[in-house]
Amino acid sequence: MNKKLLIVDDEAHIRMLIEQTLEDLEDEGVEMLFAENGEQALEIIQKERPNLVFLDVMMPKMNGMEVCERVKKKLGLSEVYIILLTAKGQEVDRQKGLDMGADRYMTKPFDPDEMLTIATGILTP
Amino acid sequence: MNLSTSTKALKHILQRDGASRELLTTLCERLQVEFCFEDPEQKLLWGTRGGLQKTIPFEHEQVLLGTFYYQSDNALALLDALKLLFQKEWEKKKIGKEVLGLYREINMIYDLSELISEKIDAESIARVTLQEASQIIQMTHGLFLMYDPDQDRVNQVAQLGDNPQSQAYIDRQRDVLKELIQRGTSAIVPAERIAKNPALKHLKTVMYAPLKVKHRTLGMVILGHEEEVEYTAADLKLLTTISLQSATAIESAHLYQKGLREVQEREDAIRKVHDASQKFVPSEFIKSLGKATITEVFLGDLVEREVTVVFVDIRGFTTISEGMDPRDNFLFVNGFNNRMGPIVRQNGGFIMQYLGDGFMALFTGGSQGALKASVDMHQALRDYNRERSLKKRPPVSIGVGMQSGKLIMGITGDDQRLDAAIISDTVNTAARIEGLSKHFGTSILLTQECMDSLTHPEDFDFRYLGQVQLKGKQKPIDLFECINGDQLELQQHKLENLATFDHAMELYFKKEFAMAAVTFQQIFKKNPDDYTAKLFLNRSAHLITQEIEDNWKGVEIMTTK
Repeated sequence: MNKKLLIVDDEAHIRMLIEQTLEDLEDEGVEMLFAENGEQALEIIQKERPNLVFLDVMMPKMNGMEVCERVKKKLGLSEVYIILLTAKGQEVDRQKGLDMGADRYMTKPFDPDEMLTIATGILTP
Repeated sequence: MNLSTSTKALKHILQRDGASRELLTTLCERLQVEFCFEDPEQKLLWGTRGGLQKTIPFEHEQVLLGTFYYQSDNALALLDALKLLFQKEWEKKKIGKEVLGLYREINMIYDLSELISEKIDAESIARVTLQEASQIIQMTHGLFLMYDPDQDRVNQVAQLGDNPQSQAYIDRQRDVLKELIQRGTSAIVPAERIAKNPALKHLKTVMYAPLKVKHRTLGMVILGHEEEVEYTAADLKLLTTISLQSATAIESAHLYQKGLREVQEREDAIRKVHDASQKFVPSEFIKSLGKATITEVFLGDLVEREVTVVFVDIRGFTTISEGMDPRDNFLFVNGFNNRMGPIVRQNGGFIMQYLGDGFMALFTGGSQGALKASVDMHQALRDYNRERSLKKRPPVSIGVGMQSGKLIMGITGDDQRLDAAIISDTVNTAARIEGLSKHFGTSILLTQECMDSLTHPEDFDFRYLGQVQLKGKQKPIDLFECINGDQLELQQHKLENLATFDHAMELYFKKEFAMAAVTFQQIFKKNPDDYTAKLFLNRSAHLITQEIEDNWKGVEIMTTK
């Protein structure tokens, strides 16, 4: 079955950047999914069960922390690997995010090579 | 744009669920046509070959991306739509790629500034700069040069790759490099210029950028490649940005070190001020605030203590100073203070304030030390007067008054000017007692509170002098004179007549003024210097003829301060 990757960010250009960064994964058969806010993300996660989610913390409606907590704690979807994206200087959020069940965090601006390496490691055997 | 990007764009349209696929499907249905799309490897991306005979190759920038199969010419409308969708998707991807490239640069500059902000020396900053630049700019060689104006020298601070130029070579080329640095421009060096320059003969591509801080240029960064990779304006801009960052970091590292030096200097200065100020503000005072040094003292710091306050006053100072010019006057006061200060300290006190014609001293451990110091000061003064008499100078005498009680020491003022301050009724009272010592003709006058806090009262001899009510005060104060400060002859006299004096005081308080007067007269007759006895003789004599109220307690009410 095809692996699925969900990119969640309220800013279109960040979604595009991550898509561009990870485009080579599509050649490996990874399906890319996108969400613009927390609510949409939660809906897609429940329906599609993506293997990996890049989740922005600062978002309107439902923020990344909440999404993470719902997915990991309330829905118990521990198999969904969640990487939180926090802005530099919001390091306080890191621990909070990990407490909410996030598997890992990355800071923005992210290092594209690092992001691709991590995503490849998780999505390709 | 490589093949894979175009292929990806095509695949996105034909295979990824979304608006494009939906549009193509709807068009097929409406036009009632079919088409099929195969990539160059004959892999189907859309539809089935079926009976579709006609083909059109799908090209983009002279590269074959696949084959469009169709039957009805109506299907050509679909090809147009596909081309349009492809163009849009491809442009989107192209922009995405560019943005990602820029993003990588931002990320790299971000990393660089983070990395170099941790460094505090030019060498590390230079090394990190070259390393980070090599991550994003194609280069095999790098040179980080800085101009040292003090030595008029261009220094190689860091390098990357195998540069044949040695520092000696750089020294030889100093003037050229210096000029280049001072020009403060950045450029991609044309190939023919590289070829002509022996220093660059191992390179095919070279560019450089200045290390600029505001309007100064600290040096330059030169990058090069052994191969003919073409540096673009964007590459140069990137190098300029990196160099700018690097220069700023070097400048702030420099300022940081300068700052460190200044902090050090300031600390030295503070230490000096502290050493000096200790002489003005007693360290005991600072310590009593719970601080180690004066630099830790802040406005509003305060401490409450049980203390004995001693006021020492030079008698007849005005008369003495009238005969001296200001300089001699100052020297006299200094000579006096130099003799008294050590005595105060030896007995556990410290001088809180010099008052011109005397001083105020504080003792924190009860009044024993205060009284001992007072007696010793009188002793020292007798020695001093002996010296003075040899120089035909008039003797000096002092009066001492003391009081024990609570005292609040603190720092007052504003943030510009701080001063040690004491707020205490004990101080006021001590000053008034000292004033009274003139009135009573005593050398040392103290209160009941001082008597109570003596640990060894047996070391001294006292005469009780009754009660006074100070102006503005309700509670009368019991006064004692300590006779050990007097001239030896007078001391002897007072000691011998101690019992008689006490008896006379008893008679006085019992309102037996005639008897009291006679007794005081006896004492006074023996030594006319016993001024206190004379005072009470006069009082008793005066009271004999006065109407005395029933509640008379012998409290002397002071009407002046």
